[in-house]
Amino acid sequence: MVTGWEKVMGPIDLSKKSNLLSNEVEESLKRIQQMKGVIGIIVINAEGIPVKTTLDNSTTVQYAGLIHSLTAKSRSTVRDLDPQNDLTFLRIRSKKHEIMVAPEKEFLLIVVQNPSDGS
Amino acid sequence: MFTDESLDGVDFQSSWKKQRHLENSQTQTTEISYLDSSIQSTETLDQEVQTVAETAQEFRLADGDDKALAAFLRIVEPVVCKALERNIRSHAFDGYDVNWAEDTDVVKCVHILTEKSLDKSMQCTQLSWNRTGSTIAVSYGRLDHQDWCTHKGVLCTWNLDRRGINSSKADVAVDVPSCLMSIAFHPVKTAWIAGGSFNGQLSVWDLSQEDEPLLASSGIGDDSHREPITQIVWLQNPDKPSKYLLVSTSTDGRILIWEMKEGKRTIELKEGFLLLASSLPAGFMKGGRSRGDKEMGVNSVSYANDDPSLFLVGSDSGGIFKCSMNSRDPVPTSEVMPSVPLYSPVTFAFEPHNGPVHSVNCSPFHRNLFLACGIDTSARIYSMLEARHILSVEPGAGYLFSVQWSPVRPMVFAVTSGEGQLLIYDLQRSRNIPVHSLQASPEKKEVFCLEFNQSQKQLLATGDADGVITVWQLNDALTTQGAREAEALADIANSVLD
Repeated sequence: MVTGWEKVMGPIDLSKKSNLLSNEVEESLKRIQQMKGVIGIIVINAEGIPVKTTLDNSTTVQYAGLIHSLTAKSRSTVRDLDPQNDLTFLRIRSKKHEIMVAPEKEFLLIVVQNPSDGS
Repeated sequence: MFTDESLDGVDFQSSWKKQRHLENSQTQTTEISYLDSSIQSTETLDQEVQTVAETAQEFRLADGDDKALAAFLRIVEPVVCKALERNIRSHAFDGYDVNWAEDTDVVKCVHILTEKSLDKSMQCTQLSWNRTGSTIAVSYGRLDHQDWCTHKGVLCTWNLDRRGINSSKADVAVDVPSCLMSIAFHPVKTAWIAGGSFNGQLSVWDLSQEDEPLLASSGIGDDSHREPITQIVWLQNPDKPSKYLLVSTSTDGRILIWEMKEGKRTIELKEGFLLLASSLPAGFMKGGRSRGDKEMGVNSVSYANDDPSLFLVGSDSGGIFKCSMNSRDPVPTSEVMPSVPLYSPVTFAFEPHNGPVHSVNCSPFHRNLFLACGIDTSARIYSMLEARHILSVEPGAGYLFSVQWSPVRPMVFAVTSGEGQLLIYDLQRSRNIPVHSLQASPEKKEVFCLEFNQSQKQLLATGDADGVITVWQLNDALTTQGAREAEALADIANSVLD
């Protein structure tokens, strides 16, 4: 349904609105990227396809595929152990990096950090 | 009273003999029947199969719903930022280390390989690992010619992944008309190997072809080297990234760039450089005996990792030079005119060694650092930005023939000596004393060559003057990069700037 107001302002306002939103997304990613030691950020959707990335293509594809399946596995583990429980956050500590995964129903945020970079 | 009288015979029947009785009778075998019939083995059918190069999937970001994405980020951003913030300040994992594999503390010798048929008459002149790191190739020749080379060189390879390898006989042996002085495996094609011989000929073999392995050869002519080829490098062709060029250096002072023409089975000269004595820094030409327009033998070449136009050469006279593939300084023509003009490649001269430099090697972890070693018994670390060396190690083990950085540990390098030793230095542990000093030659002969395996990084091979190749397995400390090690190397490089 199109209201009278939207008839006049609709198309312009909508594009402005989406611009604003995409600005907000970029700003948010920028803030995370500026945290100490952050190497890269990837946002993937529920199908495991990258939506936003700050890394190069091949690395993004690799991270997206692997972390997506690992997160799915982790979540099913948590829920199998206790059906009332759920996965909220996943952190993987390796010799070189720490990979942080924040899952939500539609998206998944992956942040790769070098924790020894801080000092 | 006597009269002729004939008497009839009296006969009587035998009481025991019976009259012979004959009878005719017939027998017959059954007829043999013959029958013709044809049989045939199963039909065969030829069918071709071919794998198709996988087309790389085009990378594309999914179209996201900005609204949902923004909403999502609004929720997770504070959580993630908090975690990142706390993580960077946390010391929870400091000094925490997990041991996944069994520790190996010792550097041990895993194979000793010799070609028995050569009977110690030939020396290992160079080694090369193939792309997968499973096969080691060695060039057999001699480095101590007094006059003409009358030897027959051999190229031998051993596959170390094969079960039951024969350590006294090579898997593949290719005979060469004169001493083989240098070899290099192709960086992509596993079975291709280039070799340079004493008479200056450059050849490429395909070791998967058992009958006729020779793929192409430069021949001997005005374009080829006139003296032993000391090193060969495969270099990515800047015009066609899928193709590789060959770079060969020789004691005749030439550094030649070749392009292989498979169809014509030849290797054609593409570019050429000539190293002249006038490139030596002033004051080093002692006594004015050496003339500036004389060429200097090139013993070793090493390409910078991030810039394929930049290379270093170590010369017979002790000079070490930074060179550029783009230099266009003409040189005085010599008596032999090659088909392409020769240029002087030198852009910068470093402080020379006192005696021939046998080996130079660029660090794979720092763009400015490189190693050089030579007859003057010292191995030095230089920075490309400074003529004077940064660090010098003098193991006191005689002449040093080969030096190479570890492909894994930025602070580790290995060097081989004239007294049969393989010395491994770890600059993090000590700048003077090697962490491992190993006897790499059973008869304590000179160890001419050394090669880290770039694929199976725990392996290292050395070759000595008796033709014995020793393959070493490195320990964990030499194969795992420590935290902030690359930074420590950068500190060494930056120490020249202070």
